[in-house]
Amino acid sequence: MVEENMSFEDNLKELEEIVANLEKGDVSLDNAIEEFKKAMDLVKACDDKLKDAQDTIAKIVKDNGEITDFNVE
Amino acid sequence: MNEEYITVSKVTDYIGELFRSDLNLRHVRIKGELSNVKLYPSGHLYFTLKDEESQIKGVMFAARYKLRFRPKHGMKVLIEGKIEVYNKHGNYQLYADKISKDGVGDLHRRFEELKEKLNKEGLFDESHKKDIPSFPKRIGVITAPNGAAIRDIITTINRRWPICQVILFPSLVQGDKAAENIVYQIRMSQKFNLDTLIVGRGGGSIEDLWSFNEEIVARAIYECETPVISAVGHEIDFTISDFVADLRAPTPTAAAEIAVPPYAEIKNAINQLSDRANMAINKKLDENKIKLDNITSKKIFTNPYEIYAPKEMMLDQIISRLDFSSKSLLMRNKSRLDLVKSSSVFKNPHELFTSQRIVLDNLVGRLDYSSSSLIKDNQNKLAMIKNSNVFKNPDKMFDSQKTVLDGLVNRLDYSSNRLISANRNRLDMVKNSSLFRNPEMIVNSKKEQYLLQFSKLEILNPLNTLKRGYTLAKSDDKVVSSVRDVKSGDELEVEFKDGSVNTKVI
Repeated sequence: MVEENMSFEDNLKELEEIVANLEKGDVSLDNAIEEFKKAMDLVKACDDKLKDAQDTIAKIVKDNGEITDFNVE
Repeated sequence: MNEEYITVSKVTDYIGELFRSDLNLRHVRIKGELSNVKLYPSGHLYFTLKDEESQIKGVMFAARYKLRFRPKHGMKVLIEGKIEVYNKHGNYQLYADKISKDGVGDLHRRFEELKEKLNKEGLFDESHKKDIPSFPKRIGVITAPNGAAIRDIITTINRRWPICQVILFPSLVQGDKAAENIVYQIRMSQKFNLDTLIVGRGGGSIEDLWSFNEEIVARAIYECETPVISAVGHEIDFTISDFVADLRAPTPTAAAEIAVPPYAEIKNAINQLSDRANMAINKKLDENKIKLDNITSKKIFTNPYEIYAPKEMMLDQIISRLDFSSKSLLMRNKSRLDLVKSSSVFKNPHELFTSQRIVLDNLVGRLDYSSSSLIKDNQNKLAMIKNSNVFKNPDKMFDSQKTVLDGLVNRLDYSSNRLISANRNRLDMVKNSSLFRNPEMIVNSKKEQYLLQFSKLEILNPLNTLKRGYTLAKSDDKVVSSVRDVKSGDELEVEFKDGSVNTKVI
């Protein structure tokens, strides 16, 4: 299972490693299937994070420390 | 007195020549205030340089490409160039090669001094540079809220990596208070758990950018725990902040590009990884399917009977052969057993005993008979020996042997006498030979033979020829026998019978 709190970078790195390992092809079928499932979970996790993307939410920190939306003029 | 008149051109040329020949005018450094500044579309800059009392016209060709600032009326400047006569107007003017703002030199000196100082302190060391996160979630920006820089940064991040949040920490970026304000916001930003911090502003003059050359700003960036990208001015502008930051971006837009990855590329990369994973697993599955097919297509799976039927047949044959041979063995042994059972030993053992007893008695009887006849034989032989001549009359046997010996002695005596008389005759013959009776006769005959041979040899002796008056000519101990062997001047030895003389051929 892909851990929820893993960063996008960690997910991507692990995905790259698993795919490289799968491509070597020297793992047993059972392990390969296990790894493949994990790879698909990671792909989904990465995709989900990318899908969450909306337009950049820009904020501005005011002098008093208050944070409000910042609109580019 | 010279009554000739010269042309205006000539006199202007003459004056121009005077200017050109003066080394002081060929390279001048002048400071003053600009007025009547005009930049033409051609890029040439026309101006008047003046102080309280004087002024001089000036020009800088293609100034647009050389100046990093826009010259303005009233600006105090330092100019390097030359002064020449402009023939067409009949005036002299300043041809500027270099124009810089008066006072800027001081800033440059301060910049270099601070750079040197901080460098020595190790603030620029590569070992202190932090990596910029590849996939940031939250980026802080310290710049003016109303400038182009923040707009460029937000636009770029939005385009490339929209899943990232941008937090602006508004700050003055020029003027006396700017440095302090920037430092304050750098420290403030530390409370916001940022992945990356961009500090910068858009382009401007060296004075405009100066706050980024202040020591307090440099030290705040150095101490900042968040990785800092500096983005001050244009590509050509370098500030102290650039040297101390973890990474220098040439412009704010470039800073945003460095700070976030391109979304489309990452999306593409993930898709590719997904495809590769699918291909790899499919390949693995195919490989295993082929292996399985290979195994299941073998006979044992498709037609197992085919494998065990021949074996079964063989087994049947073996069993039937085993059956037959065991039966026949049994029968043979049974008949042998019957035979044994039916034998007289089993039927009538007493009879066997009796018959064996008869045989034994018979043998004893035969043994008895033969031993007594053997004794008898030997007794006869002994009697015969006792009755032989040797035992009865040994002398008679001795006599006959003596007669034989006498005969042999007589024969030996006779043949030795014959051998002695034969050798005596041969000795007599030797004694009667002439060699024993007259040895001198042999010696004399050999002597005569020798004398005859010697007289023959004497005739051939060359010395005998000399005795008759002949001489012998020699050269180098060789006999000269022909006049052809000598020439005039040769020395010859002439030998006589009683000596020799040396001569010379004339």
